[in-house]
Amino acid sequence: MSDTGTVGQGITVTKTGEQGAFGGELLTINFGPHHPSTHGVLRLIVDLDGEQVRRLKPVIGYLHTGIEKQAEALRWQQVVVVTDRHDYLSPPINNLAYALAVEKLLGVEVPPRASALRVIMSELTRIASHLVWLGTSGIELGASTMLMYCFRERDTILDMNEEISGFRMHTSYIRPGGVMADATPRFLEMLDRFIDKMPSNVDEYEALLTMNPIFRSRTIGIGRLPAEDAKVLGATGPMLRGSGVAWDLRKTMPYSGYEKYDFEVATSDLCDCYGRYLVRIKEMREAVKILRQALDRLPDGPVNIDDRKVLPPPREELETSMEAVIHHFKLFTEGYSVPAGDAYVAVESGRGENGCYVVSDGTHKPRRVKFRSASFVNLQPLERMALNHMVADMVAIIGTADTVLGDVDR
Amino acid sequence: MIADSLIVDRGVSAGDAWITVAAGDVRQALSALKDAGYRLLVFLTCVDHLADASRNRGGAPEGLGPTGAQGGPPPYKSSRYELVYQLRNLETRDQLRVRAFLDGDPPRVDSTHDLFPPANWDERETYDMFGVVFTGHPDLTRILMPDDWVGHPLRRDYPVGGEAVEFSEEHETWQTAPEKA
Repeated sequence: MSDTGTVGQGITVTKTGEQGAFGGELLTINFGPHHPSTHGVLRLIVDLDGEQVRRLKPVIGYLHTGIEKQAEALRWQQVVVVTDRHDYLSPPINNLAYALAVEKLLGVEVPPRASALRVIMSELTRIASHLVWLGTSGIELGASTMLMYCFRERDTILDMNEEISGFRMHTSYIRPGGVMADATPRFLEMLDRFIDKMPSNVDEYEALLTMNPIFRSRTIGIGRLPAEDAKVLGATGPMLRGSGVAWDLRKTMPYSGYEKYDFEVATSDLCDCYGRYLVRIKEMREAVKILRQALDRLPDGPVNIDDRKVLPPPREELETSMEAVIHHFKLFTEGYSVPAGDAYVAVESGRGENGCYVVSDGTHKPRRVKFRSASFVNLQPLERMALNHMVADMVAIIGTADTVLGDVDR
Repeated sequence: MIADSLIVDRGVSAGDAWITVAAGDVRQALSALKDAGYRLLVFLTCVDHLADASRNRGGAPEGLGPTGAQGGPPPYKSSRYELVYQLRNLETRDQLRVRAFLDGDPPRVDSTHDLFPPANWDERETYDMFGVVFTGHPDLTRILMPDDWVGHPLRRDYPVGGEAVEFSEEHETWQTAPEKA
């Protein structure tokens, strides 16, 4: 009875036989997984009445890479490299969650300079991640110039990543025990220039979108998620704060010394796509404030813990000290062992709570590494938000949920 | 907060408070904890203790408790699967980890998707990856792996690299190359 046809790339249509409110029949539309508006490979099975969404089922897993399985086969220090790759828009923040969890089990605390550098990298990443979101969401809603502006600044941040870690995207910069290397003077100069320039760039983005009538009519009142629903559904990050709940792990459960920085938690009571947009814009401004404080108060000192059982000795020592050679050899053949137990650490990424749960059986490889990804949880309220909206609005809603499919599927 | 009769064991691991409940009491315990203010299920996952469970089948080795001290000997696990529920009280910011140990093929436990909506996908993921069956779940299907996948990848007896290579022509070339050489 049902007949199926294809309209355009990646979309198939099936008649359901169910009667809709407008005299027509409900159609099941398959969106994706290869569809430009889904921010990666997300498949949506949507039941449409006319052009209104009546049912929506996200189908995920197209970007599953088995990162958690892979982590079990790697030594503790090697896992850092795979943490980079699940939420590929915020690698340093993923590194941080993992590093903090391992440090919690090891019972060590990193020196103040390492904490400050971790904060700097986290905030730069948050800005970069929001910029990608702003640029791609702009394109979906017809503001194609946004991408050019946003990627201009993102490229500056990637240059800084390259300067400090040697890698533009998957930095692996934050590691258990500290950070990869100290910041170079050139990095600090670049950062200083970036902090001075960024507020005027955010003004530029706002000039393009905040009062733009097309953007406003596409986002205001679209995808409403009331505060109570957002809390019950487990939403975190800008999804939760865009619904007026001032929950930010940097304030509510501080880590890496975030309690020492003066910044505001961005919230919006609009509970819609526009509210989530305002929250992210404000967060970029607040991130710049944190960066300025971190740079001005950057403490001197080491950037790694002084424990030869966890981190290798400096290169110079290898030439003169037999003990250093032994430590070096042990670390690069067997690795270090972490005391048995389990620990969970949650950090605030650009998307929400990106946590890491690690279980150790006392050996040199983790027994289990679980990434609690914000995108995976934030994607579940999609049906709740898109219900009875137009198909075109659904695209705006997926956009402002800001899910990274690598993070959803891990 | 929760009736003591439900709690099998309790402790602190690396600063995180946890309790263990019997597998049959999971639903009851989580429901009580939800009423006590732990409204958010941060995540739900499973840990496969295959090595411990098979090594210790005869009972606990002497001197080892069911949990193991911080920095002490590895924890003794008599059951293979450990379910972990991380709960959070958004008002007091307290966190609590609830554990339950499971056995069986497939291991079964009651679903909690109606108590905590985020559990819906988490339970599907745990089913997909570990084969734990959540009774009462409305749509217990695979979520990350393809629907026709065989096996549960995060089990410890599922090998890394054990899956078939999709492009068989290349696979055969690669397999036969050393023999020809």
